[in-house]
Amino acid sequence: MDSYDVVVIGAGNGGLTAAATLAKQGLKTLLLERHNIPGGCATSFCRGRFEFEVALHQLSGMGNPSFPGPLRSMLDSLGVADEIEWVEMRNLYRVVVPGKMDITLPANRKGFTDALIEKFPKEKEGIEAFIDLVYKFFTEVIGAFYMRDPEISPLKYPLYFKYALTDTRTIMDEYLKDPLLKLAVSVYWSYVGAPPRLLAFTEYAAMIFAYIEFKPYHMKHGSQILSNALVDSFIKDGGDVRFSCGAKKILTGQGRVTGVMLDSGEEVSAPYVISNASPMVTCGEMLDKEYQREDFFRQMGGHTIGPSAYTLYIGLDCPHGELGITETTNFICTHTDMERSHTEMKMRDNEPGQMLLTCYNVSDPDASPPGTTQIALVDLKYGEPWLSVPPHQYYDYKYLYGDKMLNVVEGLIPGFRAHIEEMEVATPLTHMRYLNTPAGSIYGFDQFIRDSHIFGALDPGIPGLYFAGAWVGGGGFQPTLMSGGSAARAVAKKIRQERG
Amino acid sequence: MTLKDIHAQIEGYDRVLDEVKTARRYGTDYRIMKGEVARVLDLLHPRTLSLRVSEVIIETPSTKTLRMVSETGYLPPFEAGQYINLFVETAGVRTSRPYSISSAPGMTAYYDITVRRQQGGFVSEYLLEQVKPGDRFESSGPAGQFRYNPLLHGKELVFIAGGSGITPLMSMIRETTDRGLDRSIHLLYGNRLESDIIFHDELKERADRHKNFIYTPVISEPSKKCSELTGLLSGDLIKKVLGSVKGKNFFLCGPGALYDYCMPELEKLGVPLNRVRREMFGSPVDITSDPGWPQNVKKGTRFAVKVKGKGDLSALAEEPLLVSLERAGYTVPALCRSGECSLCRVKLLSGKVYQPRGAHVRASDLKYGYIHSCAAYPVSDCEVLL
Ligand SMILES: Cc1cc2nc3c(=O)[nH]c(=O)nc-3n(C[C@H](O)[C@H](O)[C@H](O)COP(=O)(O)OP(=O)(O)OC[C@H]3O[C@@H](n4cnc5c(N)ncnc54)[C@H](O)[C@@H]3O)c2cc1C
Ligand SMILES: Cc1cc2nc3c(=O)[nH]c(=O)nc-3n(C[C@H](O)[C@H](O)[C@H](O)COP(=O)(O)OP(=O)(O)OC[C@H]3O[C@@H](n4cnc5c(N)ncnc54)[C@H](O)[C@@H]3O)c2cc1C
Ligand code: FES
Repeated sequence: MDSYDVVVIGAGNGGLTAAATLAKQGLKTLLLERHNIPGGCATSFCRGRFEFEVALHQLSGMGNPSFPGPLRSMLDSLGVADEIEWVEMRNLYRVVVPGKMDITLPANRKGFTDALIEKFPKEKEGIEAFIDLVYKFFTEVIGAFYMRDPEISPLKYPLYFKYALTDTRTIMDEYLKDPLLKLAVSVYWSYVGAPPRLLAFTEYAAMIFAYIEFKPYHMKHGSQILSNALVDSFIKDGGDVRFSCGAKKILTGQGRVTGVMLDSGEEVSAPYVISNASPMVTCGEMLDKEYQREDFFRQMGGHTIGPSAYTLYIGLDCPHGELGITETTNFICTHTDMERSHTEMKMRDNEPGQMLLTCYNVSDPDASPPGTTQIALVDLKYGEPWLSVPPHQYYDYKYLYGDKMLNVVEGLIPGFRAHIEEMEVATPLTHMRYLNTPAGSIYGFDQFIRDSHIFGALDPGIPGLYFAGAWVGGGGFQPTLMSGGSAARAVAKKIRQERG
Repeated sequence: MTLKDIHAQIEGYDRVLDEVKTARRYGTDYRIMKGEVARVLDLLHPRTLSLRVSEVIIETPSTKTLRMVSETGYLPPFEAGQYINLFVETAGVRTSRPYSISSAPGMTAYYDITVRRQQGGFVSEYLLEQVKPGDRFESSGPAGQFRYNPLLHGKELVFIAGGSGITPLMSMIRETTDRGLDRSIHLLYGNRLESDIIFHDELKERADRHKNFIYTPVISEPSKKCSELTGLLSGDLIKKVLGSVKGKNFFLCGPGALYDYCMPELEKLGVPLNRVRREMFGSPVDITSDPGWPQNVKKGTRFAVKVKGKGDLSALAEEPLLVSLERAGYTVPALCRSGECSLCRVKLLSGKVYQPRGAHVRASDLKYGYIHSCAAYPVSDCEVLL
């Protein structure tokens, strides 16, 4: 039987950084991935002359080498930051509500503020005060939370203690009036999947702050390059990786983890396992009954499964300029009611309310062959309504929503449809297939206010078992990549303690 | 002060804590979901199928249809045009070959695959000569991108097929006519001899019955009494048969030679590239005649290939690495065997391989030395990581 210090199950973002960090620390590590390629969401696929990015639209937390964000620092420590050509975006996003608003917000505080004031001059004071609050509040969050100030108190961090658990809508309503303006400043809610009413101000401020201060990024050749670079770093540091090789069971004995059984039935021994698979599958299916702890399942039961996505991956046969596409990140909204958009996420066949059109070529001319354009058109959707589609009707349903999305885009960008050369449709069931997550979730659990880490992190309560990825650290590239590093450091610390 | 005491001072803490408690009390016990992900995926995208041949139908002197039923009683849905990769074990080698499903998606009781003999073909000969009703096979689930996309491909379709290339198109023709779908199909079907035409009678009958399906067989080496159109599928012929090509979407399937011949012809007619879809055709018949093939590597040259941590083998330059690995007894996952799907991806640790243009290797895989072993030919000694 092969034996390792640690087995990492799943090579999504969380699994990859966990494995790479462990190998860097000299621990004998095995990385298992049931798919034939690493990355989970962080991957790409080829169709015709296009290579389509699956998940990454805007990477947060990078920063540039002279002002590195937390993510860059961690990738640097794994030796992969310099392997990749980073693409910085000038603007945060453009929001279009056809006939009502068309605004582009730059990725710097002044530009962001000015652009809003220009469109909504009557609300100048409110805008300035709101942005000021976001900054002051988040500066306190950094001190109180990220820097773990030992002298934390409501006196020293008044804004933190006032607003950390307040919803974003309440605060927006205090400062801003026009529903269009509110949409313009909070359209990133869809990056979390929680509308302003359910989105903690902490999360909101973190997003705005991180994207403005560290800028949104992409990378040449898409997120697969990061996944490949992490595997490469892992292999160079002596790690073993097996693709097309799923984990079936987590082996246990004497109250702790003892190893992993692979899909093939082969057993591998290891006192530590980090799982990048969902905790439902990890604990509910891979662990023996006696190791399924009641309190853990009760705690987990308080969380709800987060959204998946419906995505059109589109290759156009013309340059983006020809169609008048000028921004990388475009939110297209047919109405301004974000609550309604959130409700629509639970439907399979509504009229599209808010979607994201990313045109990679605007910031990276090499995103597709010369003279062509790569587009991702995505709408967050819960997987639930798709689970009940009878299998033999799946392909009849699969395209219906995409047709509606394209109709909206066609209204905004006439001629768009006629220029489509390649197109792949991914439904929540597609994501489920490639990620093995319940209901095809791409963000793990919902991230509403009550899901805050303040009320306890998920801990399976079994010595040797750890989690990495969206289900424990929150969805998105930065959180999942960081979560793998944290899990690995926790394991490494334990092993060092044991070995004295 | 504990962290909890600190958090408890945040405004609204008690209210949210109550919410958390309620959510936990009345939450979901995720243990009841046990197996759900696998159950949903097994119905839609099972990784492997257990099949049994229920019937062998002789189509032409060189072609048979193998009607496959499921050992479990369930076959997953597919989109007309997709294929399954059939695993076979013959002459002591475990290998696989993709075959398009020729039956319609609406036919949920069986999948038909229609196999034409390839001279000296390792698997086709075996399927045609030896397989009989009752024989069992494993296959992949349905896969492939050669399919009609209702968001994209409009209502006027032109199918151009050569020989066994009719199979995926047959599934689409059957689906469109059986379900009365709102699109029209004109099929131009090229064969060498009249007796080579697969599904001839059924195609004629469907064309007679359905206004939205037109069938034009084209024979390149006609007999004296041939009443069909003759010649090659040239631009002139296509134009004459179709009239205008404007607004039409083309689906091509056939051996490599069909594409080599027809693509320039369609271009001459002014058909835009984004209106033409082509199915893959497996590995080229003779890779050494590829324009980019290194001239100093002669056919028949053998190279030593090391499989890291597992063993060594000797590989022929003109065979895909995947084939050499299979011959040596290694199992490498494979699906399309045409360089497109990346399932056979392995890492090249040292040495050189020739990768024909057209293999869909991700840019980041090129950078880190990953190759598609079904579309990579050794041109020096190599080491790979499986
Ligand atoms: C369409 C789309 C758009 C997105 N846009 C953005 C964006 O713009 N910005 C952003 O930051 N985030 C975005 N995300 C979200 C982000 O990609 C994900 O939250 C993140 O990548 C999840 O990482 P993870 O570590 O949880 O692992 P996952 O990506 O869920 O990967 C888990 C891995 O584990 C493997 N696995 C599961 N079970 C087993 C087993 N039993 N044995 C072996 N392996 C197993 C799976 O095959 C998979 O590879 C997007 C996602 C999608 C799909
Ligand atoms: C998507 C797709 C759909 C297809 N659909 C159909 C269909 O519907 N009907 C149909 O008839 N065909 C179809 N094909 C072609 C089919 O997959 C086979 O390629 C074909 O049957 C020939 O296989 P073969 O084993 O007889 O020939 P091969 O022996 O594979 O002949 C091709 C070359 O491969 C080499 N070779 C490969 N493996 C070995 C081995 N183990 N031992 C010796 N030599 C080997 C030989 O050098 C030979 O020159 C399809 C192909 C693709 C890619
Ligand atoms: S099997 Fe599909 S690329 Fe090789």
